[in-house]
Amino acid sequence: MLRPVEMSRVVVAGSNKVIEPVIEKLHELNLLHVVNYSGTDDAFEMGKPLGTASEYAEKLIKLRSIERYLNISDKMPDKQFPESQVLSQMDGILGSVGDDVIATAERISEIDNEVKIKQDQAKALKPLAGLPLDLELLYGYNSLAPFVGTVASPVEADVSKVSYVNEVFTASSGGTNAVAVFVPAEKAGDVSGVLAEHGFSEISVPRGLTGSIAGAISTLESDSKRLEGEKVPLQKKLNDIKAQHEDLTLAIDEYLSIQSQKAESPLRFASTDNAFMIDGWLPTDQYETLKRELESAAGGRVQVEKLDGSEADKLVETGEDIPTKMNNPSIVRPYELITRLFAIPEYKEFDPTLLIFVFFPLMFGLILGDVAYGLIIFIVMFMLKRKFRTPGWASLINIVIIASIWAIIFGFIFGEIFGPLGLWDYIFSGSHHVGLLGTVADPHHVGIDFGSGFYGSLGRLGPEIGGFAGGMFPMYRLATASVLMLIGVSIFIGVIHTGIGSVLGVKNELAYGEKRHAYFEKLPVLLFQVFFGLGLLGLIAGGLTHPLVLLSALVIIISIVMMVKGPEGVMGATHIPFFVSNLISYLRLLAIGLASVGVAFAANQLAFYVLMPMLSGGGHEGFTTIAIVVGIVVLIMVHFINLLLGILSPFMHPLRLHYVEMFTKFYSGHGGGVEYSPFGRVRRFLRD
Amino acid sequence: MVVETITDGGILYGLLAVGAGLATGLAGIGAGVGEQGIGAAVVGVVAEEPGFLGKGLFLMLLPETLIIFGLAVSLILMFAWTPFA
Repeated sequence: MLRPVEMSRVVVAGSNKVIEPVIEKLHELNLLHVVNYSGTDDAFEMGKPLGTASEYAEKLIKLRSIERYLNISDKMPDKQFPESQVLSQMDGILGSVGDDVIATAERISEIDNEVKIKQDQAKALKPLAGLPLDLELLYGYNSLAPFVGTVASPVEADVSKVSYVNEVFTASSGGTNAVAVFVPAEKAGDVSGVLAEHGFSEISVPRGLTGSIAGAISTLESDSKRLEGEKVPLQKKLNDIKAQHEDLTLAIDEYLSIQSQKAESPLRFASTDNAFMIDGWLPTDQYETLKRELESAAGGRVQVEKLDGSEADKLVETGEDIPTKMNNPSIVRPYELITRLFAIPEYKEFDPTLLIFVFFPLMFGLILGDVAYGLIIFIVMFMLKRKFRTPGWASLINIVIIASIWAIIFGFIFGEIFGPLGLWDYIFSGSHHVGLLGTVADPHHVGIDFGSGFYGSLGRLGPEIGGFAGGMFPMYRLATASVLMLIGVSIFIGVIHTGIGSVLGVKNELAYGEKRHAYFEKLPVLLFQVFFGLGLLGLIAGGLTHPLVLLSALVIIISIVMMVKGPEGVMGATHIPFFVSNLISYLRLLAIGLASVGVAFAANQLAFYVLMPMLSGGGHEGFTTIAIVVGIVVLIMVHFINLLLGILSPFMHPLRLHYVEMFTKFYSGHGGGVEYSPFGRVRRFLRD
Repeated sequence: MVVETITDGGILYGLLAVGAGLATGLAGIGAGVGEQGIGAAVVGVVAEEPGFLGKGLFLMLLPETLIIFGLAVSLILMFAWTPFA
């Protein structure tokens, strides 16, 4: 499972006479990852598309434009169609229905244009509405120069000064002064200068309208309203067509895509006048199926051959990529999304998906760790699952669902239902937890209440040591003792997590045949980090002279020496701070959790111990109705925000721990891989 | 008088809390300054090539460890180091 599926290199060669049945069969099998012919061999040239290619391409273009007008985009199917039905209804959709759709959509866009023009005209005329002139009088003179527009101050007097002969009409409404000035054409220049001094701005009068200005405006407005009304049934018609034919259209799209993919496929093959040759990779265990099926489809006139290892290796050396097909059981598969987001593993590399499946939800749970939050996320995601069915969303939702189960489990360990002071005490222990937040001044009395309530005697693992009660569950995360414990747990998870990464790194380098990199670059990192963790443990247990500390110091020194001897020389040792910070980085597992616990704690404290007693007169019992209502509103608001953050950060931070802390140890050191994408197509809307 | 009730231990504890706050807060500013440039660059690259998202995220999250260092110091100050024991 940590390795991709084993692949074999095959060559399919045959006579051009059987190319169509071979393509048909290959496409149906959906097995062969075709290596495109690069055109470097003189004996071969690139194949030519089948004769039907252009026909399918044309149909596809028309269908896509219909889809665009109908606003149809790819989705998961509600209905499936047999190919015969698709064939019989395709002409209808592409013909009469399609033409109808295109005509309707074009009419709608025409209407939109007209409405826009009319609205613009109405808007331009608005300021002129008060002028006592008809529209046709405002333009079209030979010897007169008309000026129509708005001004900031009265103009009559100044216009008279430059042109004795004039006619000025004014109207003002809503703070704008409209003006229409008519002067002899030869005075136009002078008048325009005068008008400019008064802040004149011209309004271009739309041509082709008649009658009073106010009348024209109302006509324009009623026209655009009428046109808008005309649009409604057209849009309804498009919606009806979409509702009726959406799945069928997508099925036709799928059918045409498949046909055009097949028709154009010879472009990827090498060919001569009489023969063709297809190169490709497929999972080794599928080779026999491919050979048998192709030979029966082509009546024996095709040769299917598997290249042996050394020949395939030679091709890989010349730059051919072996495609990677990740091999994970279905419960792990959603986590391939996280792997893919970073890079597709190379064929010889490890596929980290299984490790992500183990660690990611664990970390998510450790950070969120709340029964109620976990349950809410679980239920919400379960409901979203029906809505979002595309593969990407489905994976994401499954990832969060699995993670939320861990959040519930850790919720029981931490004793949190809506945070500390939340519902846990009401449900399980019956009494409020007192002294949750101890002070540093009195650390030994903090956490003495560990073990009371739900877990009973189970909570007390071991005898009382010093002032500590020795009990563990439920371990209230804000208590000093559990913070200290979680620091240890976080670092411990870090050592294991990066350790596994380093082990895989060593094996990876060996798989590529780089022994020096394996033993002097990756191995010392493993030793360094594991013994750094063990050394810390020794320090806590017995101080500087503890044998574990001495042993760790020795191994760490050896590992540093190995790094210096490694391929990078002294530079290798400069990475040491990075390895230390890798481990400390795992403290975020505790830290992010503490932040969200803190918010939940504050909300509960505010509602139960501040607001509700305050509003009901100080007592801690017998709250008034209003106090309870206000308290609940505050609780819902704060917990809702906390829950949103509680989905985001427990997701992002483990993601980082995988990408930065773990993947750097082994993953993609040799560049990303190529995903196995076989020639063919998974039919979603078509059925046999 | 109020002044008489403040003990040496109390002052020490107060200073400890201030130090812890500074450790996390300043480290947070540092991480933020580091991430702003990388974040802007990553958004730019992802707009051009969406496939870079994972690696961009990786680069963007690198400086984030800084704040964890600060936090580690704070945790040690507040919880693990007890000068009053």
